[in-house]
Formats: sequence, structure tokens, C-alpha cells
Amino acid sequence: MTADEKHSAFFNRLDEHARPASIPAFWKSIRRFDDRIARFRESQEAVKGRVIDVQGLGKAFQVIADVLAEISASRVVLNDEAPLDMFREADFNGVQFNRLADFRGDPAGWQTVCERADAGITSAEALLAETGTVICSSGPGKSRLVSLLPPVHIVICPVERFTTDIFTWLEARDGVWPANTVLISGPSKTADIEQTMSVGMHGPKKLVVIIYGEGDAKGER
Amino acid sequence: MNPRRPGFRQSARIALEDVRLSTALESATGRFRSARETAIAEFPGVEDLRDHFKHIREATVKDLGRHLRIFEESASAAGAQVHFAEDAAAAREVILDIVRKNGVKLVTKSKSMATEEIRLNHALEDAGIRAVETDLGEWIVQLAEEPPSHIIAPAIHKTKEQVAELFSAESGSGVASEISELTTHARLRLRELFLSAGVGISGGNIAVAETGSVVLVTNEGNGRMVTSLPRVHIALIGIEKVAPTWHDAGVWLALLARSATGQPLSIYTSVITGPKRSGDIDGPEEVHIVFLDNGRSRLLNTQYEEILQCIRCGACLNICPVYRVSGGHAYCGEDGEQSPYSGPIGAVVAPLLFGLDNFKALPQASTLCGACRDVCPARIDLPRMLLALRMDSVEAGLVKPLEAALERTTARVFSNEQLFEIAARFGRIGQRFLRVDLPEIAPRSFRKWWAEEGK
Repeated sequence: MTADEKHSAFFNRLDEHARPASIPAFWKSIRRFDDRIARFRESQEAVKGRVIDVQGLGKAFQVIADVLAEISASRVVLNDEAPLDMFREADFNGVQFNRLADFRGDPAGWQTVCERADAGITSAEALLAETGTVICSSGPGKSRLVSLLPPVHIVICPVERFTTDIFTWLEARDGVWPANTVLISGPSKTADIEQTMSVGMHGPKKLVVIIYGEGDAKGER
Repeated sequence: MNPRRPGFRQSARIALEDVRLSTALESATGRFRSARETAIAEFPGVEDLRDHFKHIREATVKDLGRHLRIFEESASAAGAQVHFAEDAAAAREVILDIVRKNGVKLVTKSKSMATEEIRLNHALEDAGIRAVETDLGEWIVQLAEEPPSHIIAPAIHKTKEQVAELFSAESGSGVASEISELTTHARLRLRELFLSAGVGISGGNIAVAETGSVVLVTNEGNGRMVTSLPRVHIALIGIEKVAPTWHDAGVWLALLARSATGQPLSIYTSVITGPKRSGDIDGPEEVHIVFLDNGRSRLLNTQYEEILQCIRCGACLNICPVYRVSGGHAYCGEDGEQSPYSGPIGAVVAPLLFGLDNFKALPQASTLCGACRDVCPARIDLPRMLLALRMDSVEAGLVKPLEAALERTTARVFSNEQLFEIAARFGRIGQRFLRVDLPEIAPRSFRKWWAEEGK
């Protein structure tokens, strides 16, 4: 049988019994959170993630400096996306920053610096309050390894990107899907040995989400 | 390799005598049960959501061909290559072909029941290709040369001391039996392999037709490693795991982790839509999606079609009074062949996909209590199909003549008032001579009691 014949034989087996049926209309989220940051924090902390909310981008960068000092980070990898482009390296003494922008055309070199970094910093395209989820996509200026290989993942995200849950996010999102989108709901973990929770399996051992706003710190729109 | 254990009865007996196993099983399934209950109760309108999901799954499975064609078109447009495999052999061939063409000798895998179903690791090994499982539990059972014993917790039956022994043997140096030491060891060891593998093989929790996306959930992050680092990514997915739109996939995701581990969402939900794009610094250059039929299409438009609505969350395993004491390894065929699927879902799906002849004992491994139906996110009527499979066994002559005759007689006696009274009278007398630990037969039947005192 040729490949085409195999293909039609495969579909013939399915079509033989097809009974067209309409898919129900979509599920409308009925969730409401008075304080979205509080709900987000509660969900993250339940899985040992950390959430810090601050006023203003300047303060957010200050918090990054504190976190990096706390974990004694000396090598950091950075995505090339807003608001990280506003990042002034001069503010961080003794930390070596590797920016994705400097590694265009050198994926192997980029993988190596990600593998050796103490922390990776990204932004996020959305935050889901209900599940404490950070959503990151691949694309120009956005590496998937920054949030995956280093032992610490720091996310810096404006409060405007909050949405209630996966349903409100899917309803609002449009445009083509990038090659990779990941919904991150905490640091990597496993319970595969004697059902005992252990944080930091293959992905980052620590997740720090820094949410910054200008006006309302509660995350209300 | 473990000695092959013939049939469910024999292997369940072995499991029942293993005190350590039964303690581990009860504690693990108990934890999953209470976590699930909490997570389900926390979601407002969850019963409506489940009805909605049932409707989605039912409608999708009725028209699988259409949704798979849409998937093929969208995934191809995104640059992925879509393959369709009629059976296990065809799927193995497609995957081996891709690995060989790329000249790859090391493959990293993230947990996939479908690859267990087609015994992919053996096929790769036979072809001189090293395949390493990277989910911690899967890696442990791979090192122990055992099959997984639970859909979502494959090494549920291993103690930390046993794991330390396996890790020490594999690395040639002593590893302490502290859980944190063990996970750190696995992290370092597997990280090297993630970085050097040429092909990553995963399963897929959902295939979203409208965008040609593969959705993969893990807690450890191995799913992300396997689909981000190697040059080639292959996903093997059962044909029934398709969601027509993202709205449907959203409902699926809202129920999957809640039903499985009691998490609102797993730690990582990866959405893979084709290979890396121009402008992407990382990601696989080739993405292949292999859809597996392997007997599934045979079930369409039969009384067993409903089983194709399953999303493999494992909730029915954790609630099942039989699974909870027998464990996953007991779910095997008469010839000792292990079913990758255990518990109530395995008891239905193994005979249907791999043959009732060999797996005839599995539909009997149920009390028909209905708890599996109650927890199923897609409200699949598992007990109905377990009963139907029992009937099929009788019709196919797979039940021993004596057993069949006894059951027929019992049925006749139980459905006839006079015969039942006579049998009960004999039973009351006969029971005195039996040394079996059973409750005494009541001095008066309920019917009599009702006639005399009820109303």
C-alpha cells in the first residue's frame, strides 16, 4: 500500500461510523475574585511559589536585585522582551547578565549560558488568578530555555495582564499560536518517590513572580 | 525482567500478600482521592462543567475523522508532520524511521501511556537506540525493568531504599536513600541526557484540532525538556485525544489535573504548535505527531464507543476498591502480558484493545460498585461496559462450563421467590457445617419479614 492508500484506509475506518454531532457552545467562566492578587498568591504559595507585588517598575527591578542577592546569583539570563529592555545592568553590581539579544544566531551558545545561569528572568503574557498561573510563549526575543534550565525563574509582569482563569484567557486571546506556549503554575516538583513532595525536579527549583502596578495594587481592572 | 505472572487472579493474590505494596497503595490512592475531592468541590458549577465535558467528548468521538482531518491541516500549516498509524507495529515503524533518519542513538522520553501500549522502548532498544524515561517514576520503573503500576504515579510500589539501590547500580556510586538526595541525583543525571539527546518522544494529553497544537502536562518539567531541547520532537497520541477547539481544550484542562492529582492545573501545561519559527532561538526543528488507532476505531458505533471518551486521569484507579488492594501490576493477561492501563479503565480497555481472550479476567476484577463512574470527569459508565464484557465472555465461551452452569443456576434461584426460600432454608442448615467467615443467613427472609411486620 502506498502512503496515500494507507492514509485513506485509516480515515475510512473512522468515516464508516461517523455520525456528525454538534459540539456544545463554549463554557463561560463563572468565577469572580475580589482580590485577584490574593487568589494568585494563595495558589502559588500552596505549591511553594513566591509572589511579590509592588508599585512601579523601578520598585520591581529593586525587588529583582534583592532576590538575586538572596540567592547569591552571579550569572543571569534575560529574555529580550518588555519590560526587561528597561533593565539597567549598572544597578546590579557583580552580576553577569546574558541577554538573548546578544546571542542571535548562536543557539548553542545560548543553551550553554542558560544551562550555567543561576537565574533566568522573563516576563509573561498573562497571569491567571484562579490557578496562580504564569503564561510564557516563544517568539522573537523570547527563549523557552530561560524559564526552564536555570534553578531559579523570576517573572516580572504588569498587573494589567491579570485575567480570571483559563476560560477568560482563552476567550480574550487571539492571533496564531506560537511554536511554544507554557502555562507555569509553580516551581517544578515531583511526588514520585513514596508520594512525598519534593520541589525542584527537572525545571526551576524556585519561582518568583513579581507583579507591578502603577495604580491599584489589588489587581482590579 | 520480573517473572511473568499469569492472569489477574494469580497476580492479585501475590499483590495482596505484599504488605508493603498494599500500605503504599492505600496511602497514595487515599491522598489522590482526598485531593481530588477538595479540588472538585472548590470549583463552582463543577457538575455542570462535567456535563458539558461529557457532551464535548461524546460529540467529538462520534465524528473523529473530521476532527483529525482538521488537526492534520492545521498542524501541517504550522510546519509539523502528522502521521497516522493503524496499529502498534505501524506506529513503531514510523517512529523508528524518524529516529534512524536523524542518525540518533539517544532518545529522551516523557511519560506516555501510548508508548507503553506499543512497547516502544523495546523496539528502540532492539534497533540499538537508547531510550531514557525522564519522568522520575517512569525512570525508576525503567531501571527496575518493570512496567508502571499506576497511570500517573508509575513507581507507586517502590520504597526510597529500593530507589536508592537502583540509582546506585545505574550510576556505579552510592546514592543515599533520602528523598531529596534521590531527586537531586536524578535531576543531575537526567539533565546530561536531556542536553545530549537527538530526539525527544512524548505522549500528548490533548490534540487541539483548530490550531494543530499538542498539549502536554507534567509537574516535573521533563515534558518541557523533551519537547524543547532535542532537534526532533515526536508525540504519539491515541486518536481519541482530540479536542475540536480551544474552548473544548480549556474545559478538558480544567478537569484533567483536578481529577488526576487534585491540582487546579498541573505545574506545566505545554502547548506545542509546530517546530521553532524563524526568530525563535530554541525549540525543535522537526515536530512529528503520530496518531495511534490500534483497535480504537473498532469500538466506534458499538456499545463500547463511550470508553474512547476517557482522558486517562486515573481517578477511577484511585477510587476502585479492587485496584486499591491489587495494584496496577495485577492487571495482566492469561499469558502474563501486562496491560499498560489498569484499574476500571484498564479492565474495560485492555480486553477491547488487546483481546478479550487474553484479558478475560479483567472485567471480573470489579465489584460493580459504580464509584468509578461517579468520579469520572467524562462520566463514563464503566460498570455498564464491565457487565457487557462479562456477557461477551460468556457468549464467546470464555467462561468455564462449571462456572457458567453455577452462575446460571444462581440467577434462576435468585429470581424465583420459592426457589430462593428453599435455597435459604438449606443454606441456614448447611452454613453450620461450613468453616467460612461469612455473616449468618437471616432466620427470616426480607420478603417474609415485610409480609409479616412491614407496611
